[in-house]
Amino acid sequence: MRRTCFSIFAVWILMMAPHLAYAQGSAPVAGLEAFDTPSDDGSSITLRWEAKGSGPVDVMRSTSRSGEYELVGEALAADQVFGDATVEEGVGYYYALASVTGGDTVMTDVTGPVAARSNWFRNARKNTMVATIVMFALVGVYVAIARRGKELYVRKIAGLNAIDEAVGRATEMGKKIFYIPGIMSLSEIQTIASLSILKYVSNLTAVYGTDIEVPNKDPLVFSAARETVRQAYMESGKPDQFKEDMVTYLTYDQFAYAASVTAKMVRERPATNFMIGSFFAESLILAETGQAAGAIQIAGTADVTQLPFFVTTCDYTLLGEELYAASAYLSREPVLLGSIKAQDAAKAILMAIMALGIVLLAFDTDIIVRLLKTR
Amino acid sequence: MRRTIPLVLTFLVGMYPIFAFFVPHATVSGVNQWLDKALVIVAAFALPLGVVNLVGMNLEKIKQRRAGWPYAIVLLAGLAVMAYFGVIGVIKGDTGFHPTFEVLFESMVSPLQATMFSLLAFYVASAAYRAFRARNVEATILLVAAIIVMMGRIPFGDMLTGGRMTPLSEWIMNKPNAAAQRGIIIGAALGAASMSIRVILGIERTYLGKSRD
Amino acid sequence: MNLKKLLYIDRRIIYLVVAIGALIPIIRPIGLPVVPTEPVIGLFDKLQSLSPGDAVIISYDYGPSSEPELNPMSAAILRHCFHRDIRVIIMAIFPLGGVNMAIRQLERVTGEFEDLEYGTDFVNLGYKDGGQAPMKAMAVSIREVFPNDVDGNDTASMPIMSKVQNYDDVKVVISLATGIIGEWWADLVNAQFDVPVAVGCTAVSAPKYYAFLRSNQMIAVLGGLRGASEYEELLRRNFEWAREVYSDPDEMKQSATTGMDVQSIIHVIIIAFIIFGNVMYFATGKEKGR
Repeated sequence: MRRTCFSIFAVWILMMAPHLAYAQGSAPVAGLEAFDTPSDDGSSITLRWEAKGSGPVDVMRSTSRSGEYELVGEALAADQVFGDATVEEGVGYYYALASVTGGDTVMTDVTGPVAARSNWFRNARKNTMVATIVMFALVGVYVAIARRGKELYVRKIAGLNAIDEAVGRATEMGKKIFYIPGIMSLSEIQTIASLSILKYVSNLTAVYGTDIEVPNKDPLVFSAARETVRQAYMESGKPDQFKEDMVTYLTYDQFAYAASVTAKMVRERPATNFMIGSFFAESLILAETGQAAGAIQIAGTADVTQLPFFVTTCDYTLLGEELYAASAYLSREPVLLGSIKAQDAAKAILMAIMALGIVLLAFDTDIIVRLLKTR
Repeated sequence: MRRTIPLVLTFLVGMYPIFAFFVPHATVSGVNQWLDKALVIVAAFALPLGVVNLVGMNLEKIKQRRAGWPYAIVLLAGLAVMAYFGVIGVIKGDTGFHPTFEVLFESMVSPLQATMFSLLAFYVASAAYRAFRARNVEATILLVAAIIVMMGRIPFGDMLTGGRMTPLSEWIMNKPNAAAQRGIIIGAALGAASMSIRVILGIERTYLGKSRD
Repeated sequence: MNLKKLLYIDRRIIYLVVAIGALIPIIRPIGLPVVPTEPVIGLFDKLQSLSPGDAVIISYDYGPSSEPELNPMSAAILRHCFHRDIRVIIMAIFPLGGVNMAIRQLERVTGEFEDLEYGTDFVNLGYKDGGQAPMKAMAVSIREVFPNDVDGNDTASMPIMSKVQNYDDVKVVISLATGIIGEWWADLVNAQFDVPVAVGCTAVSAPKYYAFLRSNQMIAVLGGLRGASEYEELLRRNFEWAREVYSDPDEMKQSATTGMDVQSIIHVIIIAFIIFGNVMYFATGKEKGR
């Protein structure tokens, strides 16, 4: 009987020992390690530990093992990781974690010295690097193929084919063409694509003597658009027909711009409207007013939220990548067409990878998903 | 030279952020941050260009008494008043906003913007009436999906169908709609990448106002 | 009757019917019930899971044109945060009115609380130009991007900012966005720095954001007035204080739930016109075939 009671008591003691030790003042964390945060600019050191308990811990740091430690941050024991972003590059630091347990302050063993270093590559972006190199390589390959004189097929894009017809209509009716290059600045690639189509349209209006107006919301785009139209008239041999007020700046406010342009449409009743570029909520206001004014409308945008509005109100709509293909399609320059083929090749590769990923997921393998994860 | 310098600048300024995306080193990210700030400064300096053009054009309109010239006076007066109180507010005010600027913003700019945005409700109605006709199979599918989503977004849909409309509408948004949106986003992103590479490498030059030769 | 005339109704008649339809529920509210959906519940659950003292960023990325849709959700989210003692860091990336929206919303909501302290419980950092550039820089130090708040006070001396160095110290970013800015938060801040992002957007942008929601780049999407009214309904269902706030007639006038009445009527009108147009389309087709 005595032996049984003693055994039970011993087992109980062994089970309670960790908790008793904790109550007497051992830290809720153990195994503290510190290392230079990988793939960063040398401004951070990462701490990692095992959680033995719960509760808050203070992150203490010093530049010498036995020196004075300062508090640099707080964490929970359960977090198991902490990033110290207040370090200087190249300076060696020592770390310890402090917690208050049973009224006593308990420190882990000190770890260090560890110094933060600037890294030359973000490892988490290896996949993006490969994709970027592949994209550049595809452009290079197809441009080289195009330069060798091989004919490259690009399918018909109805909206681009209709540009000549639309300009012709305005010429016959003796009415104006409105060209709206979107509301974003030159930093938006859609705007640059729009300016390349503006060049083509301006060449036509110069040749046919059609009136064109290009109202702008962004001052940078206004400057670029004016140069584009001026150059188009010069190249067409009609520099005297170019007028400064063909290209105007209206206002930076989105809806004031929409109000101004729609007012012009109602007053001047253009024969043709081009709305090509990046648009937001004003897209339907512009397109519906143009429709009511009786204009033939060609729109183009890569903003998926505005595409439905253009599709329902315009005669032709360039969807997403069709807008970016415009300059190549209209000029038929082999080098530009080569880059369109590169884009198509990249899409084919991506579709193949996605199809493979879907099949592998059906077999519980997420290797493609992990491969495509970006950070 | 006139043609070469912009192309070289475009290449350098275009390639650098791509390089900085992969290289976190402090010296590289420092230059990248400077480039970001430079873009903001250039855009800010472009604004006076536009304002000068706007003022010049409207003054010309008033001088020549062209059609609508009284509205040009209204435009210039509005520009002057808002600019004056805006600048005074920054220079003198505690909060950076002059009280008159705030009153003008709250009572004129804000309601006008809200009104223009509200026009969409009317235009959506007229566009939907005109465009949503069951001309063929695809148009019919579009029509049915639009009605389901419209009914699913309002309480009437659930009231009429015993709570079935919202889940059906959510299914359309989460499955076919999300899939189609992703397809267009991926295609547009590849198109943007291809166009950007053309611009960076100097293959695409129309934005400079010059054709390739 | 000339069916062809009915096939192409003068758009002014459509506008008039829509205007009348919009006016009726404003004059005589209906109070239609709203059922919360998963995209909205995501944000509610996230804020419920936070502990008192946790910090969130609310970015006011919209202007006056989007006020009717985004103000109600902004007020609802602010109330939820303040009632749960969540620290709120307000900022604005949208240049044309974002900071004004923030100031007005804070004035509206903080007036309901007696013990909120500026600089401790919430702060308005104001507007920062540069679009994605400040968003990137905030991953390193929010105080460096915003050394002063909207009134010019030093942010380094504020208790709320002493605990929030960068995105690592923020539990969720809520962007109330018009246009493309909501996407920037998902593409940049969530993708590169792993911060949960929720977006409240206009109804026009909501379809696009469902793709981001499904791929877990966003934890929640509140789409337009419907999203705002769903969030208000979640608050009413879970909290007594919300039932009191949203039963006040002045508050109800500005709430999304009232706006949903108008939206409901307009949707019904549009559907009626579409059905009528199709009936006329087929009727004129049959007439041609005779």
